[in-house]
Amino acid sequence: MGLDIAQTLIDGLMVGGLYATVALGITLVFGLVGILNFAHGQSVMLGAYVTFFGVQAGLGFWLSAALAVLAMAAFGAILEQLVFRRTLGDHMAGLAVSLGLIMVIENLAAATFSPDPRFVDPPVSGSIMVGPLQLSSQRLLVLAISTALIGGFYLFLQRATLGKAIRAMAQNRQGAALVGVRVSLVSRTIFTIGSALAGAAGALYASLFAVTPYMGNTPLTKGFILAALGGLGSVPGAIAAGFLLGIAESFGSRYLSASFRDGYGFILLILALLFLPTGLFGAGKARV
Amino acid sequence: MNIGRLLSIIASASLALWAPGALAQTDTVKLGVIGSLTGPHSGWDVPASDGVQMAVSEINAAGGFKVGDKTYKFSVVQEDTQSKPDIAATAAQKLLSDEDIRFVMGVLTSTPGVPVANQMARAKVLYVGGFTAMDGLVGTKGKELLLRALDTDETAAKGFVPAAAKELGLKRVGMLLPNDDVSKSIVKIYEPLFKQNGIEVGLVELFQPGTTDFAPVLRKFQNQGLDGLFIGYSDPDAEAIIRQSLEIGGLPTKFVYRGGSSQPAAKYADKIDGFLWQILTRDLANPSDDKVKDWILRYKAFTKKEVTPQTYWALTFYDTVFMLVKAMQEAGTVTDPAAVAAKLKGMAYDGVRRMSYNGEGRAITDIDIGVLKGGKVYSIPQKIL
Repeated sequence: MGLDIAQTLIDGLMVGGLYATVALGITLVFGLVGILNFAHGQSVMLGAYVTFFGVQAGLGFWLSAALAVLAMAAFGAILEQLVFRRTLGDHMAGLAVSLGLIMVIENLAAATFSPDPRFVDPPVSGSIMVGPLQLSSQRLLVLAISTALIGGFYLFLQRATLGKAIRAMAQNRQGAALVGVRVSLVSRTIFTIGSALAGAAGALYASLFAVTPYMGNTPLTKGFILAALGGLGSVPGAIAAGFLLGIAESFGSRYLSASFRDGYGFILLILALLFLPTGLFGAGKARV
Repeated sequence: MNIGRLLSIIASASLALWAPGALAQTDTVKLGVIGSLTGPHSGWDVPASDGVQMAVSEINAAGGFKVGDKTYKFSVVQEDTQSKPDIAATAAQKLLSDEDIRFVMGVLTSTPGVPVANQMARAKVLYVGGFTAMDGLVGTKGKELLLRALDTDETAAKGFVPAAAKELGLKRVGMLLPNDDVSKSIVKIYEPLFKQNGIEVGLVELFQPGTTDFAPVLRKFQNQGLDGLFIGYSDPDAEAIIRQSLEIGGLPTKFVYRGGSSQPAAKYADKIDGFLWQILTRDLANPSDDKVKDWILRYKAFTKKEVTPQTYWALTFYDTVFMLVKAMQEAGTVTDPAAVAAKLKGMAYDGVRRMSYNGEGRAITDIDIGVLKGGKVYSIPQKIL
């Protein structure tokens, strides 16, 4: 029983790392720039396709994943410049535009790539024994990468000059501008980083699950639950919520019912809104 | 020569020229074909439509068919449902606006299939469809002219489960399916059949439709003494389950798939110990029957297409077109769908498929069972009829 619980916990952490990577991008963009980008899930999907076609072209998984991150970073920067910059401060306009983008991107992907599911060959396969635990090698790798991404990003926010500028802007946009932070450049950077994280999440998703034009919806819904659960704009909150959701889904599917899998996240959200209305880490204001 | 005389000569000459033709005059029976020729369901309906067109072409090329004193040929009127239920309803209406269309075939998938079947039933035309949800419509009041050209789950399972027991040597299986009505009816049908064939069902789990991460639910199947997994009916789910079973380890590597393709297991052939699937018509990839081999040659010549894993759907309605002709001949009418349906029900036919329609309008046919074992792919014909 103890072994089973430990295995289920690690399964939850593995998929939780993925969720956290997606939620991080969403909370970052909304909390710091005020843009509610519903099309974030589509960046995950496009990242997964870049990885799939990269692997198909013989680039191998790692190079394809790097390409997915770069491509989505560029995609994010273009979106910010062409679309979201014009909706700054108008949440409804931003919401409408991002919902429209979902339809456009999804349908274009379905028309171009076909709705057939594609599977990417993962860089490692099979399972390994860690003591008495039998664990999927690829899932362990995904957990390691997502933890490194999250940790690296957190360090960047805390130590790098640009990270400090981002935090300054999150605390007081006008104040940051007054002390010389180039607000528009930082906004674009945040959007670009958020989108790059979606690209990375897409590559990791592709290494575990089927790639389809409609795959972005689940990470998106879960990403928003997590961003709200962690407290909108709170980076530590989104990370903790990501792992918590992965664990809740894993235990729910293992010991309760697998046919209610997505419901567990919403139960968590409802409980959080009832008892922790400002999210896991408190503060209604953006926290980085 | 005046104009009147010239016209008279032309008229006489025309009559003389056309007279032999008039003596062997051929009338036309319009056959409606409806299906998703575009969109995500076209993989099923395009081959099915090709099969009808091929049968019609063969019948017409042989000079048509006689009913009473008259010789008839088919002309096909086709509509595209575009894989969408709303467009399907419009396409069915368009087809039915032609009052000469009394016989219609097509639609292999349930989403566009249901609105089409309901409209056909209301219009009292003879409609032969193929989609699974038709099992709930065929034989019900007001829908006596609906027939389904593929075996029901219950019928197919009678051949499928013994093959699974024999080919994979299963003793104890787990069933993992999406939580929907189709799965619940599959469990109800297969569970007792497994028991009858000496296979214990150790565990049944239903997962949320749309699930991509199967690891937690697959953990339930570990350490249960299972030697096989029954993995539902959808290609993407089945492939994800096989892939993730191998990934997390400690699970059976023999799979029984109620779907119609080897696709989910193809990439993992060297890592699994067996995979069984249903071919609801005939196996075209590895044909052993001469009738099937001959049909493949004719199919390629007619359609100018190669045989793909989806081509076997072309046999869904192919034999039924010939049965329809026979039923018209026996009923002595090409205009009374009820009389023709009455003859079709109960008729047995040994075509490329061996098939019959029961009194309710459900097909009972022999099927082929696809087997992937030891890296080899082959099929076993199963006599059900």
